[in-house]
Parts: sequence; structure tokens; C-alpha cells
Amino acid sequence: MAIHKILFASLLICLLIQSSHAATKERLFSDLEKSALEVTATPSRVGEGVGVDKLSITWKVSSTATKEPEFKAIKVKLCYAPASQVDRPWRKTENELFKDKSCPHKISSWSYDPAMKAGQSFDYTLERDIPTGTYFVRAYAVDTKDHEVAFGQSTNEDKTTNLFSVQAISGRHKSLDIASVCFSVFSVVALLVFFVNEKRKAKIEQSE
Amino acid sequence: MAHHNEDEGSIGTSMHGVTAREQVFSFSVQGEDDGPSSHTVGFDDPTAKFALPVDSEHRATAFKPFSFAKPHMRAFHLGWISFFTCFISTFAAAPLVPIIRDNLDLTKSDIGNAGVASVSGAIFSRLAMGAVCDLLGARYGTAFLLMLSAPTVFSMSFVSDAGGYLSVRFMIGFCLATFVSCQYWTSVMFNGKIIGLVNGCAGGWGDMGGGVTQLLMPMVFHVIKLAGATPFTAWRIAFFIPGFLQVIMGILVLTLGQDLPDGNLSTLQKRGEVSKDKFTKVFWYAVLNYRTYVLFLLYGFSMGIEMTINNVISEYFFDRFQLELHTAGMIAASFGMANFFARPLGGYASDISARFFGMRGRLWTLWILQTSGGIFCVWLGRATSLPIAILSMMLFSVGVQAACGAIFGIVPFVSRRSLGLISGLTGAGGNFGSGLTQLIFFSSSKFHAADGLSLMGIMGMIFTLLVAFIHFPQWGSMFFGPTSDEKKSKEEHYYAAEWTEEEKRQGLHEGSLKFAENSRSERGRKAASDGSSPSTPPENGNPAHV
Repeated sequence: MAIHKILFASLLICLLIQSSHAATKERLFSDLEKSALEVTATPSRVGEGVGVDKLSITWKVSSTATKEPEFKAIKVKLCYAPASQVDRPWRKTENELFKDKSCPHKISSWSYDPAMKAGQSFDYTLERDIPTGTYFVRAYAVDTKDHEVAFGQSTNEDKTTNLFSVQAISGRHKSLDIASVCFSVFSVVALLVFFVNEKRKAKIEQSE
Repeated sequence: MAHHNEDEGSIGTSMHGVTAREQVFSFSVQGEDDGPSSHTVGFDDPTAKFALPVDSEHRATAFKPFSFAKPHMRAFHLGWISFFTCFISTFAAAPLVPIIRDNLDLTKSDIGNAGVASVSGAIFSRLAMGAVCDLLGARYGTAFLLMLSAPTVFSMSFVSDAGGYLSVRFMIGFCLATFVSCQYWTSVMFNGKIIGLVNGCAGGWGDMGGGVTQLLMPMVFHVIKLAGATPFTAWRIAFFIPGFLQVIMGILVLTLGQDLPDGNLSTLQKRGEVSKDKFTKVFWYAVLNYRTYVLFLLYGFSMGIEMTINNVISEYFFDRFQLELHTAGMIAASFGMANFFARPLGGYASDISARFFGMRGRLWTLWILQTSGGIFCVWLGRATSLPIAILSMMLFSVGVQAACGAIFGIVPFVSRRSLGLISGLTGAGGNFGSGLTQLIFFSSSKFHAADGLSLMGIMGMIFTLLVAFIHFPQWGSMFFGPTSDEKKSKEEHYYAAEWTEEEKRQGLHEGSLKFAENSRSERGRKAASDGSSPSTPPENGNPAHV
């Protein structure tokens, strides 16, 4: 009976979690206005290192943009190029916007007003949790409901040009390595000490 | 009093005592049964010094889980917690994979292969562990595993690519052999009448480690990040926790534990003679018994699937439902935590069905539990909403874990002589199944993880049909009754067949005959009407779980 109660309670909790999701499930990437924004991203050097190197990013509203009155904010994101998506289904590009996982890293976002048509240009220092890979930059324009209406990216539609590569930190530290060796040695030595000691005691006992 | 010197010297004849149906030191439980196979060693009023009631071998006849009394309950707790700690270490990487895969630039194949590697090592270490425990005693067996594999856990801090990740996970996986040392230890400490319950609790609670780690590691990771570390360093530091746990447990085992009720192995070895069976014989009879292979495969699709899920489920929920790392971990943890009651439940169900329907009841119970586990696994793969996924996962967990318990309700009856080895082989089958399912379904981009789950469930259900092939001449099988041959339908015939005429003349098979008599309860209610079964609740009343 306790099992039934637990199952029922967890079912209720999950239903609540699910119902709190916004109903944005059906919005598709292909519905967005393409090239409404012109985006460029220039790495400061080839093979950018995270935490150290910068990306120079500019975005501006293109003259061909039709949905410009709806723009409320511009969100700039770092996206994976196809080479970094191979055999990695957690970075897959999906047409449904809520499912799409190809642009997980937020760079910055700007509140938009019509005076900003000429765009912005800024430097972005790569975060330390960006993995190694090839990337491009995409900017989404969102409306008042925080729904994407248009976008622009620093590469072409096939995502083959103007890609740049990023080198992640290894996460390793010398202090960590040393601590690891110390504890390992302690573990092995402690075991041997116990073992030898006990064998010696048993021998002494036997010879008595 | 005959000392069987000609038999001794075969180290590690079996993991004898793993499910504790066989007698360690070939004592008999009832003191009045004096045959050539029983020894008596003189002790000075020994029972007075034990906190629990004991039998003539000083094995406890009562199980008090809240006690830490020396030596029995202490051994129980040290044993299952050691096993639990090793489960934590082996599956510690699983909930952190979303971070690790970014740090090391892993592909799906890399992750899948590392998962396979993490369970493969134990296939061999579990087989070797019986010999190790025979040689060194359960205490050192456990402590060796814990403290020699702790460095492998710490070495996660050195890993920088897919190859390193795979090697380290492979090496950590060896410590899953603590399952054997834990069962061995409880088996020498507890009487056969209660060993089923004791081993079931030890096994189930140890397996819970696979669930706890899914909660523990993301929490530790989160705390370390809050303390200021970057994610790619924090996960490495997080691995120090399972490493510390292993070292601490190793020291506790060595200082607080005791190999045998009367003392430690090295001290006792200098005194009495221990009669051991020949390894070659034990091996031969295990290999010749076709049921060994059936159980190997069946356990591969209950315990094997359970271990595979431990490796993949957190990442699955993280990716499919866009959850936070610790939320995915929480859901994944509840899968493993169900072991606390699900596994003993399976064994209990097996026992109840045996009371009415004998061995046929046990086989049907196993088939029902494992097949429903498979059905719910398919459902889990199909589920597109989070509540349904969680519901199906919980039902799935109860199904497969209870099936694990039910399998070990049957294992003790397959062989008396080679029991330890067959139990060990069955256990190794679990690891094999896990490696196989991870390799086929979760290592390539050929299918989505969701489809992988459904296909794994279907494969499990197909293999579970093998239960129908387990046939005992004395009890029948799922569909057929016992053989009508007058001689072969006796339990004695089945168990005595494992001894040669020469050995029978020496009376070495006495233990098997006693066991055969006790096992008449596997005829079900017919046994009572036969009038030939013992009225004592059989020592195989509760099956042993691992």
C-alpha cells in the first residue's frame, strides 16, 4: 500500500511539473524569418581558448527584415557547427524550437528598440564551461511573449562558412593530481601495513 | 573422525557459501547428524560470548538488522555497506555524463563503450573472488578490493580523453566483486535457515548504491561548484567522495571485522583442518549442468538490465525531458532505490509460490516478474511525457529487481556441490548481460535511446522465455511434470548424481543427501500429502538473493 501511495504522489508531482511548462511546443525554426539580422563573429585568434580569448560579435537589423516592429529583445547564442554534432544526439538540431539543442550557450541579450537598428558590437570572453568544438554565432529576435520571430547567424544556411573552433579547458589541476596520488598511496600502504602486521601477529601467536 | 586430507588443497574450490546452502568447513547444522563429513572442534563454552543465538558452528540463528554486535551483525553491516560503496563508485560517472561528455569531447559511442567497460571487469573479478576469499578470508577479500580499487576512483582526476575515461571506468568496475565477498561473509556468519533473508537484504541494500549514486554525485558536484570550482574541475573533485568512502570502509572492515565467528582466518587456519572439495570436480559439475547457462542468461536480463539502466537512465531523462542535472539524478536514483524492498519481495514471492506449487511456482513467478519488467521497459521507451516515463520506470524497476530475487530462489536448487560456482557464474551473467545490452542498444547513434530501451525490453522478454527450459526431473518445469521414472524422480538421485561412486563410498555426498531431503518442499503442497517431507520449515525457506 505504501508503494501505491508513493507512486500516486510522484505521479501528481510530475503532472504538476509538466503543466507548468509553457505551451510553446509547436513553434518551428523554419517559421522564423531568416537573415533578419546580420551577424558577424570574429575570433581574436585561431583555436580560441576559453576563459582567455574573446569573440568580437556584431549584430544589426538587416534592411530586408519585415518583422522588425515585433522585435522586443535580441538574444545572441553560441551554436554548434555540424562537425561538433556528429554522434552526439544531445546537440541535435531540431525544427521544433523547444526541442532544438544546437544553441545551448547564451552569450548575451539586449532589449531592443527601433533606435537600435544599426545594431551593436561587443566582445565576448568565452565561458569556462564551453566544450571543445566548432561553432558559429546566432542571434534570435524575440517578441513581447518571448517567442522567437526572426534570426540571423554568422554562417551561411548550410553552416559551412565562417566557423571558428574553440579549445576547452581540461579541468585538470596539478593540485588535484597530487591529492589523487597521495590518497591512492595512502590506501595501498594502509592495506599492506594491516596485512603485514596481522601476519606477523599470527606468526608470533603460533610460535608461542 | 575422518579428516579428508586427500581433498584439501584446492583453493577456491567454489565460492562455497555464496548462497550458504552448502556447509562451510563441512559441519552440519544439526549437531546430532554425525557422519564422516562432520567435524567437531573443541571450544571452551563458546556460545556464551555471542550477542546473538548461535548454532553448533557459531553461525547466528537470528537476524537483528539494528544491531552491530560482534561478530555476526557487524560482519553483515560491513559486508553490505562495502558492496553498497562499490556500487556507488562503479556508477558514479553515470549522472555526471552530461558534464563529462562536454569536458572530454565524448561521442555517444565513447560513452556507450565506457558503460560497457564499467561492468565488464567484474565478470572476471566475481569469478576470482571466491578463490580470494578462500585464501585470505572475507575480511581481506573485501578490504583488498576496496582499498586497491580506491586509487582507480581517484585517478578520474587525470582523465583527459575518451580512452582514459574508458580505462578508468573499466578499472573501477572490478570492485563489483564485493558482491561475492559480502555474500561469502554473511554465509559463514549466518545459519542456513535465515541466510536467504540475510543475503537478500545484503544484496538488495548493496544494489541500492546504484540508485544512491545518482543522487549523491550531482549533489556533491553542485556543492563543489558553489564553492567556486568550474564545472570541468568540479566533477573530478566529486569523484574523491566515492574514493574516500572506499578507503574508510576498507579500514573499518579491517579493524572492526572478523572473518569467522570464532576469530580471524589466519589464526584459525593454524588450528583445525578444513575439508575442501576439489575445484576441478566442482567446475566440471557446474559446466555440465545446462541450467547454469540458462541462469547465466536469465540473470543477464534482470540484473544486467538493471545495471545498464543505472548507467544510462540519468542521461536519458536529462536529454529527453530537458531536466536539470539533479532532477534527472533524483529520478534515476528512485530506480536503484527500489531495490530496498523490490529484491527481497521477489525472493519472498518465490518462496510463497513454492509453498503452494513447488518449483513450478518458483519458475512461473520468475517468468511473470521478469516479463513484466520487460513490458514496462518497452513502455518506458515509448513514453513521451515525464509522468508516464516515471511511472513506467518505477514499475519496470520493481519487475526486474524482484526477478533478480526470484532467480536466486531457484539457484540454490540447481546444484548442491557446485553451488558456489554456479552462484558466481550467475552473478557474472548479470555483468555480461549489462555489457551486451549497453553495447547493442546504447553505444551507437543507430537508434535513439528511447528506442534502445524498448528494444532492450523486447530482447529481455524473449530471453526470459528460456525459463521454460529449466526442468528438474524430480519437480518438473513450467509446463511439464516430474519424470515418471521411479528412481530419477527422487531428489536424492539428482543431487547424488554429482558425486562419483568412489566419492559416495567415502561418504562425501552426505551433505547433498541431507539437502535433498530438505528440498522435498519444492514439490509444493503435494509434498505434505506424500508424507515423506520433513515437517521442519525447510532451510531453503527463504531464497538467497544476491
